This record gives sequence, C-alpha cells and structure tokens, in this order.
Amino acid sequence: MRIFFNLFIAHYKQFIRDKAALFFTFLFPILFILVFGWAFGDPSQSFDVGVVTQDTSDIAYAVVAALNEVEVLDDIEVGDFNTEMDLLRDGDLEAVIVIPEGFGDSLQMGQAASLDVHYDPSQTSTVQILLPLLEQVMDGIERGITGNIRLISLEEHIVQSRELKMIDYLVPGILGMSIMFSGIFACIPIIQQRQAQIIKRLGCTPLRRSSLVLSELAFRMILVLLTTALIVLVGRLAFGVEMVGNWGVLCGLCILGTLAFVSIGYVIAAFVRTEESAIPIINVINFPMMFLSGTFFPVSNMPGFIEPIVSAIPLTYLTDALRQTMVDSTPFHPMTTNVLVLTGWLVVCLLITIRFFRWD
Amino acid sequence: MSKKQQFVIEVRDLFKSYGPIKAVDGISFQVEKGEIFGMLGPNGAGKTTTVEIIEGLRKPDSGRVDVLGMDALKDVRSVKEHIGVQLQIPALFPTLNVQEIVSFFGGIYKTRVSSSEVIQMVSLEESSKVLVKNLSGGQQQRLSVALAFVNDPDIAFLDEPTTGLDPQARRALWDVIEGFRSRGKTIFLTTHYMDEAERLCDRVAVMDHGNIIALDSPSHMIEHHFRESAIQFRISNSPGSKVLSEIDGVSNLVSDEDEITLYTDNVPVTISGLLALASSRSSQLSDLFVRQATLEDVFLKLTGKRIRD
Repeated sequence: MRIFFNLFIAHYKQFIRDKAALFFTFLFPILFILVFGWAFGDPSQSFDVGVVTQDTSDIAYAVVAALNEVEVLDDIEVGDFNTEMDLLRDGDLEAVIVIPEGFGDSLQMGQAASLDVHYDPSQTSTVQILLPLLEQVMDGIERGITGNIRLISLEEHIVQSRELKMIDYLVPGILGMSIMFSGIFACIPIIQQRQAQIIKRLGCTPLRRSSLVLSELAFRMILVLLTTALIVLVGRLAFGVEMVGNWGVLCGLCILGTLAFVSIGYVIAAFVRTEESAIPIINVINFPMMFLSGTFFPVSNMPGFIEPIVSAIPLTYLTDALRQTMVDSTPFHPMTTNVLVLTGWLVVCLLITIRFFRWD
Repeated sequence: MSKKQQFVIEVRDLFKSYGPIKAVDGISFQVEKGEIFGMLGPNGAGKTTTVEIIEGLRKPDSGRVDVLGMDALKDVRSVKEHIGVQLQIPALFPTLNVQEIVSFFGGIYKTRVSSSEVIQMVSLEESSKVLVKNLSGGQQQRLSVALAFVNDPDIAFLDEPTTGLDPQARRALWDVIEGFRSRGKTIFLTTHYMDEAERLCDRVAVMDHGNIIALDSPSHMIEHHFRESAIQFRISNSPGSKVLSEIDGVSNLVSDEDEITLYTDNVPVTISGLLALASSRSSQLSDLFVRQATLEDVFLKLTGKRIRD
C-alpha cells in the first residue's frame, strides 16, 4: 500500500510537471467546449424551414401553425413542392416538410400518417438538431388532436422533455473525446518508460509491475473523473447545460470508457516501441474516431462505406451513452448495446495486449 | 560458517541462447562475500546477459544461480530485496528531482538508507531539488550509482559506473565502492576501464563468446600471461607483423590498427633490434614507449580485441 502511494505521488508529480499533458487533459476539452459552444451553440440560432401542404385539412393547418410557434424555426416558408425543393437545393432552407394529401383524413379516421422531411445531408449539424425538434412539435400537435395515440410518424418517435440544442449535443461529445484521449495516451508513459529502460530499472527492484500499471491506471481514472467534473461544470456555467442523469451512471460510464480506451492504448504499446512512432499512430486513431463518431456533428448521413466503421468505433457508443445520461438525448443505440460494445473492446484489446505485450 | 555463506553468488552451468546465438555458453563461477568481482569482455561477449540473469531480469535456458543462499531463479523478489543495481543507462523518471527519485526508490525496499545519506554519498546535495532531466550526464550517472545503495544491499551490481565521469568524480566513486566493500559487502562490477578493474577488483572474470576464458586476480592474471614488458609504438612504412615479431626477444605481437605492441622479456635487446630495423628501412617510429604489461594487455591477448571494439 505504501508502495502504491509512492507510485501515485510519482505519477502525480510527473503529471503536474508535464505542461503538455496538463493542457491536453484539462484545458483542451474546455477550449473545445467554449469555441464550439460559442460558434454553434448560440441560443438564438434559427432554422429556415419550408412547408408544403398537399393536404387541406384543419389538422394540416394546425401543423403549420404549430411550426410557426416554434421559436427556433425562424422563417417558415409555405409554398409548392418544386419551389421549396429548389430553395432547399440552393441552401436557402435547412429542411422542407411535406404534409401529404390525406394526412388529416387519416388522422381523423384514427389511422397512422407520416410527414416527409427533406433535408440537405451536408447540413447535418443543423438538421440533426431540427429532426428531434420536429418530433417534439408533432408530439405536441398529436397530443392536442388525438390524445396519446401515436399516429404521426417522423422516423423514430421519442418523447423528449427538453429541447436539444447544439451545445447539449456537444458537451457529452467533448467529454467522450477527452476520455478517449486520456485513455489512449495511457500507452505513452509505458512506451516512454520502456524506451528509457525505466521499466527495466524498476524490474531490478522488488516492485511489482502490476503495482506500476494499476497505480498509473488509478491515477488516470482520477484525472478522467476530474475532467468530467470540469466539463460538466463549464457546460453548465457557460451554456446552461444541465446534467440530468444519474451521477453514478455517469461515473460508471466514464470509468468503463477509460478502461476501454486504455486497453486500446495498451495494444499500441504492445506493437510500438518508440514514443516518436506512437504519437502519429495515436493521432491516426484518435482524429478519425473523433469526427466519425460524431463528437461535434451527428453522422447519420455518412456515405454508405463509412457506416460500418462508424458502427464499429467505440467512441460512437461512449458518446451516445454519455449523451443519453447527461442530456437525455435520443439514443442511437440502446444503453445495453453501448455498454456491451465498450466492454467488448476492453476484453478484446486486453487479450491482444496479454498475447503480444513485452516489457523489455 | 558453511561454504554456502562464503559465496554470495554461485553460478553453475548457465546457458542462454537467443536463436542461434549462444549468449552464455555454460559458465560456472562463484563470487565471494566481501570482494569486488569484475566482469570484463568485449561487447556481445555475454556479460550483460549473465549479469541480468543473476539480477533476476532474465531467465536462463538452463543452469542454476544462487544469490545470498537463495535460488535466484525462483525467489526473484527476495533476491531483489537484498541487491542493488545500477544499469548502464541511468533510466530515471526525468521529471522527478533527485530527492524525490531517491525517496521513491528507497520506498520500494523494506530496508533503506536515509535519502540524505544516499545523496551525500555521491555529492549531489546541492542538486537535490534539480529535476533529473536537468542534471548533467555525470550527475545522472552518479545518482544512478547512488540508487544501487539505497536499500543498503548485500551485493551491488554496477555496470560501467564511472562512464562519463570526470577524473575527480571517478576517484570519488572508487572511494564509495571501496568504502562499501570495507563494510563486508560485495560488489559485482562490469567495466570497460582496465585501469579501474586493475585498481578496484579483487578478482576479474574475462568473458568472450559466452565463455569465461580467464578468472583470477588482476595481478595473477598479468603475471600468468605476461612476464614480459610491452613496447608500444607506431611505425611508418611498416615491415609487417611477421618481420617485427622476429626481432630478438619478442614473444608476442599485437597490432591494433597502426598501433603495434611487442611483448618482450628483454627490453634492451628488442629495442635495439627495433631501432636497427627502423633505420635500415628509413621508417619513422612514433609514440614509442615501454611499460609493464597491464590487464589491458591480458585482455587483448585473450580476446584479440580491445575492450572498446
């Protein structure tokens, strides 16, 4: 225990003297939140939406009226299909909502009806905020007209208590990103110490290697939890992002996420001998993961060949789980799937590490 | 006292191969309590592998190693508790300071010498708050040696302890090593410096190609291999080794690039023969001097190499 404490102190002192590590652990995610939050998270940000009513029922008008009520839908253009679609193509609109003929009749007869939403995939950032929002709107209309029976469909249909803003999406994304960085960078001290023969030197003492690894891991966990607290705090103070979920679940997810990414870091340490070659490899892993998993922007509109990659990378699942917990966002995957995928990565990476890692 | 306790290290029939290379090819030797035992050999001779097996860093293919009466291949952690090690590369956490490193290493062991005593041992008191990465190479080296004594070990393994040190620091370190020995402790020294081995070691083992080719005290070793003196020189327009070795009195010749050493038991005869030969060929002799044979000559004779090769 005393040895563990000594190691812990050593990790701590090395960490606080490493300015780059300090920056990347604490300042970097905060800067991201502030920069992206101010760039995209402006609460007055609005969407221009075109509405095409091919239906003349009262309900159709009620839908248009309801859309007009929504604050962030700044400019609602009502027009014919071709005109609106041209505007969308020109980039003047973010989306076109078509109320098809017979929409009102179907609802009045108690049958299901759907709205068509056309949107530009390149505008994913705004559209992905818009779609859940539209669902909320339809939800409201539906409650007014048909009670609790769900008839109007717009893809998935989740009842949301909160209006999801870009910043709500962003804060858990940044947290996921910083967990990924902290985790994967766990390979650096190991590679450095192996390269500088520090591990060999410690091997000449009665110190157990497990103490070395576990103390480093414990220290990293504490860093991650501190980062989490900091990110949640900044999200709340700067942008009013409420953490609505259970703190225990959030901590659990952070720990599971850290373990999964640390194990990926260990795989790197198993195959890469020098720090100089590890850094570019880490970047090659981190940056695509960061963008493909939707840290900053949702990615459901990627070209088809990228989809399998997106659905394989662990950060996708970690950020989804974090979003569900922190801001109660629309799940892309059930929580159990998220947890299972992360656990799967952890187990597979540990097995690879055990098979290939060398201490010397 | 039983025989077992007189030897603090006993190595028997030690083998270790890396693929086709026999790094250690069946060696046996003992190290006595309270001696400074030197291990010499050219690079790749198997010294490092041997030492690392004894230290518990590597497993041999076969053989037996007892350290302080313990089976060093099984009770690895108990052995490590009672030995101190200095590796050739200092290998220290770069962002801890001297004081912190010493107390960190001290904290690993059950027995420990006080940090200030360890720092004082290698005169680093004034640098005790300096981060390792900001120490000079020599200071790092001294710190690294000091850490081998942090647990007051029974055996200290020192690998090239004085490399990179200025002459003064080197002598100071010799005093530390001899002071340690005077308390009945044992030193296992690996070195490239023949003068260091000659001055410090009670016995030296010379390793080459995985075997111990000589094991004796430096003075015995020199006497045994050389009753002769050495005449060392460079010569222009060299007549060649064969002609030189036929000069009267020459018993052996070693040439290392353009530096030639003749071993002779009759210095005046050989010198006049050499001078006559040089003047007959109008060859210029330079850097000529006569000296007693040293451990370096023994090493050269035994391995055919200078130790720095």
